[in-house]
This record gives sequence, C-alpha cells and structure tokens, in this order.
Amino acid sequence: MLLQMAFAECPPPNAANCRAVGCVSRQRSLHLPHLDMNSAALSATPAGSHSTSASDNSVHKSLREYARGVAGGLIFSLPLLFTMEMWWAGFILSPERLLGCVAGTFVLLLGYNRFAGLHEDASWAEVAIDSVEEMGLGLLLSTAILWLLGRIEFGMAASEIVSKIVIEAMTVAIGVSVGTAQLGGASDEANEAADESQSEKEAGFGGQVVIAGCGAILFAANVAPTEEIIMLGIELSPGRLLGIALFSLLLGAVVLYCSDFRGAQRLSPARGPLSIVSGIVVTYAVALLSAAAILWFFGRFDGMHISKIVAQTVVLGLPATLGASAGRLLLQRQ
Amino acid sequence: MKTPHKNWLEWTVFGVGAVLVVATLGFLAFDAATLGSAPPGIEARLGRPQRLKKGYAVPVTVVNHGDATAEGVAIEVTLQRRGRATQSGEFEVAFLPRQSKREGWVVFDADPQAGRLEARVKGFEAP
Repeated sequence: MLLQMAFAECPPPNAANCRAVGCVSRQRSLHLPHLDMNSAALSATPAGSHSTSASDNSVHKSLREYARGVAGGLIFSLPLLFTMEMWWAGFILSPERLLGCVAGTFVLLLGYNRFAGLHEDASWAEVAIDSVEEMGLGLLLSTAILWLLGRIEFGMAASEIVSKIVIEAMTVAIGVSVGTAQLGGASDEANEAADESQSEKEAGFGGQVVIAGCGAILFAANVAPTEEIIMLGIELSPGRLLGIALFSLLLGAVVLYCSDFRGAQRLSPARGPLSIVSGIVVTYAVALLSAAAILWFFGRFDGMHISKIVAQTVVLGLPATLGASAGRLLLQRQ
Repeated sequence: MKTPHKNWLEWTVFGVGAVLVVATLGFLAFDAATLGSAPPGIEARLGRPQRLKKGYAVPVTVVNHGDATAEGVAIEVTLQRRGRATQSGEFEVAFLPRQSKREGWVVFDADPQAGRLEARVKGFEAP
C-alpha cells in the first residue's frame, strides 16, 4: 500500500524516460527508502545529495523487513499460540525432544531461506544469520504473547516456562521467515530480482522438496497437536483411511497440475504423464513424512500400535498435502 | 568467504537472536542432562481456612516434586471430627508439570478449625 501511494505521488514519468535507470532510481531514492546499499550506491549519481542517507535507507529497509516478519510470524502461528495442547506439550515433552524440535526447525529455516528466502543470492553464511535472527524473533514474540495470555508467570518452574516458549517459538520462527519473504508488496526490488534471477532462482528438485516440507509442516502443525487427530486415527475405519489417502493424492494432483494455481506452470514444465505421477507421489511422500515427524514430536506415537500410527499419519497427511502442494506454490517467491 | 554486508540494526537483531538461541539450547541441554527419572511425587498442602458467605473455603497447594508431569491429579480433603469423617471436598488438577505447583480450594459447611483436615492424593494419569 505504502509503496503504491509513494508511486502515486510521483509525477507520471514520461514513457521514454521511465525505463531509464537514472529516472527510476532517483524516484526510488527520494520516495522509497528501502534500497540496499549496493543499488543505492549505483543510483547515487543523478541524486548525489541522497547518497549519504544510504545507510539510513538500509536500516529503514531492515525495519520494514522485521515488521513484515513479525506480522508473518503472528499470522502463521497465532492459532497455535491459542491452542491448549501446545501449552500442555510444553511441559509434557522431554527436553531432548524439544532440542530435536529446535534443530529440525533450524534445518527447515535454512532450507526455506536458501531456496525461497528474501535474499536471492544469499550465501550459506547469510542464510544462517537470517535463520538465527528469525529464531530469535520467534522466541521474543512467543514470550510476549504467552505472557500476555497469562500462560507463563514468574512463579512457574523455569523448565515449564522455557519449554512453552520454545515449542511455540518454532512455528513463529517459520512464520517470520515466510512473512519476511512473502508479505512484501510488489516492491521494485522484487521485480528487479525476478527479472534477473528467473533462471537461477528455479529451485532444483532438492529445493522443491525442502519448500514442500516447509509448506507441509506449516499447514499440518496447526492441527497436529490437537486431540482431534488422535481421535480420528483411532476411530476411522481402514476403508475411510484409504479414502483420505486417495483424496489427498487427488488434491495434490489438482493443485499441482489442473488448477492453474499460481506458480504451478513454472514448477512443472515437463508435462509427461510420468513426471506428473512422480510429482504427485513425491509431494504426497513429503507430506506423509512431515506429518509423521510432527506427530512423533508431539508424542502421538508413544505406546501406539503400528496401525494407529499409520492411521494418524494418513489423517494428518491431508492438511500436509495441501501444504506441500498449494503451500509450496504460495511459498515460492514469484 | 565474503563477509555478508549488513547494517547495525541487522547485526543487533542477529546478536540478540544468537544469544537467545544459544541460551535456549544451553538451558534445554542442561535440563536434559540433569533431569532425573523419578515418577511424579505429589504432595497436597493445606492453607488457612477462610470464611465464605456460606461455609468455609480451604486453599490447597498441590506440588509435584517428581521429574514427570502428572495429568488429572485428583485431590480429596476430608474433615475429621471426633475421629469420624464428617464431610469431604475434592477437586482435580488438569496438569501438574514436574517441579511445579498449582492452587485449588475445597469448601466445607462447618468450620474446619473445629476438627482436623486431612488431604489425600487419590490418583493421576501419566500423560
């Protein structure tokens, strides 16, 4: 919104000059203080007096990114911050499992930032720094919200407080990461980047799997800790479970290949029947694996018979498939 | 390896984030290393009875000294007069985490100070 308003204030540049670097970049340095240092330095020539504000600009830009991150973190994790099973998990789960959760989340953040993150050509060092920042923001945000909700108090045992914060902070961190990358307006920076890196940005097979996993976890985590999954897993007949599995596969196929979903074209250029089938199978496999990982983490497999383990995984596999297919397409930078 | 170019704000956020993450990991690792395997050890402590409009309320603090969380902890408090249980009150604590305490109340018609109160943990579930 802000960006569009800023543009609206500019006098309409005449068509011939509009594409010229000087004109466009001067407008930007006057009205849109969110360039990174490099491009600010490049564009400094026509508006030399503004070059001193380059570092201000970059701080401004970072602030905006953090604001987007905070909003995104809350959008994706607020349902979980308001879920009792999550608070209970905070004191039921062992510290080892929580450590595993932190490690797993960090890997997901690394993967997401690397393949779909805001900074297109980021090195692994930058990706790691971004991931640590997002985790820190996640911890701070979840502490604040849990305190506001009265879920953590000063008299509580330290282990209870820390566990509750950690378990909530992990989804917040993923939300922060996605929010920072996704919620930005149609900024010129993104357009530029899209032009430049259309080709190099095509995440390969590994990247697609990572982003699909992110989407699956982001979607499935919202329902995974609830009692409903365990209830469904126990009550549903094998026939219905098979139905759910087939419906999940169909859903994946529709989203990825039939619905003209945003970004679907780019992801599945080869349209042979074999590649379609393999795409759907891989998506569903990622969804099932993610679902099983989350369920195991919440202790839903403890003491369960193998048939109930599979049943719960298939039930949670439905939202996870939606995340791995639709979520994956939405999580990609366009 | 090229140094990532970042401004002071980003370095600050990174610094705070790194400290938080390391502290969290450190705490969890320490917690994991020192955590024993004692089952939930639950104790119910009675406080001073307070007069209500009708009857008397007695605060009860339920403490878990063990290393595991207890779910659905049932607490019963009986009022004994002349060696006989005259009335009892009970409540349930939904979750009692390890090394934590929760508060509850039991209510009696007669003044508990006239007799003797006895608190008992009836049972609980392993979550």
